[in-house]
Amino acid sequence: MSLIDLYVTEVGKRLPLKGRSDIEAELRSTLEDMLEDRAQKAGRPADEAMMLDLLKEYGPPDKVAATYNPYQYLIGPAMYPFFVRVLKIVLSVLSIVLLVTLGIKLGRQPLGGLELAQAIGTGLLGILGAGLQAFGNIALVFAILERVMPASEFKIDEEKKEWDPASLKKAAAPTEVKPWEPITNILFTVAAMVVLNGYSNVIAMYFFKDGAWQSVPVLTEAFFRWLPLMNVQWALQIVLNVILLRQGRWQTGTRVFSIATSLLGIFIGYMLLTGAPIVSLSTEALLASGAADAAQAQNINAVLQQAVRLGILMAILAQAADVVKNAVRLVLKSR
Amino acid sequence: MANTENLDNMVQELRRGLLVLAVLSQLGKQQYGYALLKLLADRGMEIDQGTLYPLLRRLEGQGLLESNWNVEAGRPRRYYVISSEGRKLLPRLKGEWATMVTAMDGMLK
Repeated sequence: MSLIDLYVTEVGKRLPLKGRSDIEAELRSTLEDMLEDRAQKAGRPADEAMMLDLLKEYGPPDKVAATYNPYQYLIGPAMYPFFVRVLKIVLSVLSIVLLVTLGIKLGRQPLGGLELAQAIGTGLLGILGAGLQAFGNIALVFAILERVMPASEFKIDEEKKEWDPASLKKAAAPTEVKPWEPITNILFTVAAMVVLNGYSNVIAMYFFKDGAWQSVPVLTEAFFRWLPLMNVQWALQIVLNVILLRQGRWQTGTRVFSIATSLLGIFIGYMLLTGAPIVSLSTEALLASGAADAAQAQNINAVLQQAVRLGILMAILAQAADVVKNAVRLVLKSR
Repeated sequence: MANTENLDNMVQELRRGLLVLAVLSQLGKQQYGYALLKLLADRGMEIDQGTLYPLLRRLEGQGLLESNWNVEAGRPRRYYVISSEGRKLLPRLKGEWATMVTAMDGMLK
């Protein structure tokens, strides 16, 4: 094999199979023409030194092959926006599902201190691993599609439509924040924090006896165990609402922040729902009030606990809806 | 040094934009790659072979050139010639070029 043949083979190895033999044949013919030209100019037959000079001038095989593959993409520009969109949707949904699953799992195991931190760390690492795996799988699928399907099939619909500047107004609407919304949220959150932290005894059953109003607190120890974490979530919500008030609109950062606080809220709600009752009216207190007999007292307590559970469940659903709403808006914004 | 490099890049960009017109204008008669390379160089348009051959393939893919293999003096060569589609496009491209030259001349006076 001549040096030219070896060179052509090296270039060919770096070319796509489609059209390879054609390019190889043309390259060989060009190099032979060039060599012949040089031999004529030098007035002597072509030799190995001349061939070496020619090939050195023509360039390394990888660079020559690269000129025939100007777009050496794993995922090409036509398919890339579609890839990013799919990636964002999958990673958002996966993160939310895994975070909620982690919260539920942690809630089922009463852990404390270091053990809890370790469990959270392991769980977050697992989520990171799952995210990377999902990323790799999606990239692999798109890399295969890039090679087996024409890029034209992946043109995103709106690219074909005529762009309407009026759509800017429509797109801007969901991001606007009216000032009364964060102000109301802040007021209610602060009120809840003040009452539950400073005046929790006002949440009680009241009855009139012996010429005076008397009360029996209904919040149990289980509620106060979770109060510090609730305070953290409320504080985060206040920070979020202050930011929204200042910025006047939702942005990527505030949406992510909101999702995080809602997930914390869902976690707390789940713990309250599945743990020991957070409200309780003791039979003794009810009997002492004279408002009910023993059988009625049990029923009242059961109804109260069910009502509170229903309230917590609705709060969880509301926060879950908030997470979904913010995640969807994040994805839509990224389009 | 940086200025020379910038100038080289800018000149390269300018030339790159002209290559299609230069190649189409010279392929009224069929040529094989290396002969076209020399022809363009003789006319003052030096093109690197690493640029010319992929460009020829791209233009053929776009239907502006046609090619066929011929064996000449025992050596197979791929000959390129402008296609009927290319012939329709060339005068319009020349017109665009003339407009640009006039506009640029006006700006650079």
